[in-house]
Amino acid sequence: MISFRIDGHSVVPPYLQIVQQVRQALRMGLLDVGDQLPTVREVVSATAINPNTVLKAYRDLEREGLIEARAGHGTFVRRRPPGPPPGTHARLGRGLARWVREAREAGLDDESIESLLRVTLRAAAEEEIA
Amino acid sequence: MTWLVWRQHRIQFLVGAALLAAFAVLIVITGVQVANQYHAAQMACAASHACRNQGGLFLGSHAVGFLIISTLGAPALVGLFVGAPMVAAEAEAGTTQFAWMQSVTRKRWLTVKIGWMLLAAAIWGGAISALVTWWEGPNNALQLDAFDPGRFDIMGVVPVAYSLFAVALGIAAGALLRRVLPAIAVTLAGFIAVRALIILLLRPHYMNAVTVFYKVTSGFTPPGSYWSLASGVVGPNGQQLAQPNNINYIDGVPASYLPAACTQVSRGAFTPPPSCTQALSHFRAFLTYQPADRYWTFQGIETGIFLALAAILIAVTAVALLRRDA
Amino acid sequence: MIPMHEVPGNALPGPAAIETTGLTKRYGKVTALSGCTVSVPEGRICALIGPNGAGKTTLLRLLAGLSRPTAGQVTVNGTTPRQDPAFLADIGFLAQEIPLYRRLSAEDHIRVGAHLNPRWDAESVRERLTGLKIPLDRAVGKLSGGQRAQVALALILAKQPRLLLLDEPVAALDPLARRNFLGLLADAVAADGLTVVLSSHLVADLERVCDHLIMLASSRVQLCGDLEELLAEHRILIGPRKDTTAIERSHRVVQINRTPRQTTLLVRLNGPVADPAFEASDVSLEELVLGYMGQDAPSEPAQLTTVGEEQ
Repeated sequence: MISFRIDGHSVVPPYLQIVQQVRQALRMGLLDVGDQLPTVREVVSATAINPNTVLKAYRDLEREGLIEARAGHGTFVRRRPPGPPPGTHARLGRGLARWVREAREAGLDDESIESLLRVTLRAAAEEEIA
Repeated sequence: MTWLVWRQHRIQFLVGAALLAAFAVLIVITGVQVANQYHAAQMACAASHACRNQGGLFLGSHAVGFLIISTLGAPALVGLFVGAPMVAAEAEAGTTQFAWMQSVTRKRWLTVKIGWMLLAAAIWGGAISALVTWWEGPNNALQLDAFDPGRFDIMGVVPVAYSLFAVALGIAAGALLRRVLPAIAVTLAGFIAVRALIILLLRPHYMNAVTVFYKVTSGFTPPGSYWSLASGVVGPNGQQLAQPNNINYIDGVPASYLPAACTQVSRGAFTPPPSCTQALSHFRAFLTYQPADRYWTFQGIETGIFLALAAILIAVTAVALLRRDA
Repeated sequence: MIPMHEVPGNALPGPAAIETTGLTKRYGKVTALSGCTVSVPEGRICALIGPNGAGKTTLLRLLAGLSRPTAGQVTVNGTTPRQDPAFLADIGFLAQEIPLYRRLSAEDHIRVGAHLNPRWDAESVRERLTGLKIPLDRAVGKLSGGQRAQVALALILAKQPRLLLLDEPVAALDPLARRNFLGLLADAVAADGLTVVLSSHLVADLERVCDHLIMLASSRVQLCGDLEELLAEHRILIGPRKDTTAIERSHRVVQINRTPRQTTLLVRLNGPVADPAFEASDVSLEELVLGYMGQDAPSEPAQLTTVGEEQ
């Protein structure tokens, strides 16, 4: 079962962190269709966040159609978010790890890597618009 | 709630019960000996027709006798070690906050606690008094001093009332001061002060004392265990005579007031000459006392006074805890 | 199986667990709390924040019925706090000193609770404490501060109250114990729909677990409302050193900081910010607390008027 990690210092509000972590887990293949999500009580016990936060996240995911509540049984994954199959993520992740190693050997620190990634993403986005 | 009271005061209860049990064993064992001594002495003196002059005989060991006298302080113990900490210890530790936030109201908490404390105090005072009264039976018969201060206070019903007063005083002190040591100090001081004041100022006057005048030559002893409050000799002019030490007395009259004829006597059978008898007839002795048959009335009055004081103190405690902020 | 709780942000007003109007408490000449008017809906976890001496403990004690107000009204669970077993059964109050009988064990405390409360879930206490590896048969005086706090909270929850009032319950706990404690609290709220009011100095914890806020300073209420909404209503404005009269007229300025080159304001918005020279950013709970605690003016939302530039 997935366990959530809530970063209190992030600019992303906690409920959105949960939504993102569910989506990411689905993309990575860590969560599959039919898997059960932790109950609200399990989540708040582990993370000490407000129950309403979890409810809001689960409601958003339900509205998106990704999960569904089955009365008396729990909350289950209904389908995967649109995107490539799980294997793709794993494969691209491995390629990225190789690239990061290369960048580090070349002398880039994490901050430079992150800003290089941001610039590249922005450039790619502009290219798509153009 | 009763379970909580038991759990909190378990140790106090067990220590008190152990002390009482030890005291009871000692008293019963020695008391049987005292009773036997008494019966033996009575049989002996009956045989020799000398039963009237036994005032000097004291039955039982002096050690136990001393213990008996010290039961004067027994009621105070329950006030100091059970009453004073009852509220004060909880107030100091803050545990009243715990108790009062369970679903029991402050009123019920206080009522149950005070109820059990009072019961314990009554049993403590009553048991000790019963044992002491039984043990002292023979001595009371011989000495006839049961009504005297110091004897009156350790027998009969009054020790129960003193115990109830002491525990109520302790509880009130603890409720007002909210700290254990000051509460204990105040309880001790208050108990001693009130008891002393009542013995000295009030008890002699529960009923109007009886004053009897009699001839100095006759002597007068009221029957039974009376309480002598004042005695002396009154001169021809009605004034009470001073009775300092270190001078000679004839029948209680200072020799300086009497003709020489009175002083020229030897010990043994004293037949005063007519001039002496004449002179003595101008003097009268008096005794102010409470008669023996008033003993139980006095016990009842004093019990009533201390019960009333206890009730007032409990009311004070209730106001202190139930009206104020927690 | 998602229960129907309110979703913050677009909540319909539910029944209020707590409502006070003009609540005032004086001890002789000292005013501990003045004109406090707050409202906390059911099912919320409410943060009670303020500097020491601001009146937090006073407010909690008034809500619990441990003290009586000098003036004003207070309604808790629909009634005035009173010495009544039914009222007492519905609230739990945990004082800062964590009052427990030091010589009694946790199991003894469970027995006390069973005798003194109409509803009592003894098994829940045993389960929780065993799960935290806290021994049930040791005198609680011999447990650590953190363990004692856990025992006290488990006991209060066993009572199954509708409202929980906690006075600095995590002050003496290490970070792991704090996390466990707040997790336990959040779980109880999720399970039973409990309402919690929790005073603390540890803003990070509060921001995580609370969805309602009451802020006190100088014995008065500075803020009271849904946490997300309150945060959304405030902004930090950063801009050049210039005249801020227009901003001050339109919005409620909580705090202004001026350096020779820069002006920083914490404002409560009353519409959009018109001045383009100022960059607005969101406010964290910590910044909000510091801003309100740092002001020296009292609570009335007065419109500050400055004529010309100040310095």
